Amino acid sequence: MTQVPEARAFELRVTPTRTQLFTFGAITWNRHKIHFDRAHAEAEGFSDVVVQRGLLGNFLARAVASWAGPNGRLERLQWKVNQSAFPDHELRCQGEVTKVSEETGTSIIDCALRILDPEGAHVASGEARVRFR
Amino acid sequence: MSPQDPLPKEVLARIGVEKTRRYEVTARDVRRFAQAIGAPDPAVSSNGSLVAPALFCQVFMFEDVPAEELPADGSPNELDVPVPARRTVGGGSDFEVLGLVHSGDVMTVRSKLKDVITKEGKSGTLYLVVVETSFNNQLGEPVARETATYVKRT
Repeated sequence: MTQVPEARAFELRVTPTRTQLFTFGAITWNRHKIHFDRAHAEAEGFSDVVVQRGLLGNFLARAVASWAGPNGRLERLQWKVNQSAFPDHELRCQGEVTKVSEETGTSIIDCALRILDPEGAHVASGEARVRFR
Repeated sequence: MSPQDPLPKEVLARIGVEKTRRYEVTARDVRRFAQAIGAPDPAVSSNGSLVAPALFCQVFMFEDVPAEELPADGSPNELDVPVPARRTVGGGSDFEVLGLVHSGDVMTVRSKLKDVITKEGKSGTLYLVVVETSFNNQLGEPVARETATYVKRT
């Protein structure tokens, strides 16, 4: 019997900073100006520099990893950005178990995911599949 | 251009064209990626290598071309398709984690424009640029695959 978390729902709160956007852009070699040049971002109609799609995905991956613990391994993560997120605003990365199945001695758990901004608007929604050994 | 119009032949010609590049996974890359996403220090495996976070292969997503070869907005080359749109944002992703990545691995990255889909949005025509990237380690084992969608609009 594999060890799976008892919690059916989980949440990770993160507040991305400008420094974090800069460092994520640097390590992924993403030089798109909307992520680091506020004047450029405003000229494109944004209120500030924009949190990267990839960084939002990593926030969800971290939320899943914190919930799953050392026995769980993320196999698939899908996410869709519904609206832009900006630095210095707290994001609530939430997950909820939607399906539990067994496969040759391992448990597979599917989760629905979402990221909410401080106003409760859906920044992103998605799904994860985690295998537990 | 409306969603009913066929894509320009310059766009169609780019769909499916694959580019390949190779990179070594350094311990510094793994540590810096973990710090950038706010994750704990990477785990150390029994041979002393660092175990990379699940979405680490994003490090190798974009080609390392000089800045002057990028579009004016600095957006990645991979998204530079000739459609009548000037603004780009990230739309979504389907990321499959197929194996562990360790420092010391050598990654072969294969990337291609998979599709360009036109759609009517609130402010006009949207172009969904779909990029597929696969990552194989030095043993030829697939370790990750991502289908990323970007939204281009006027």
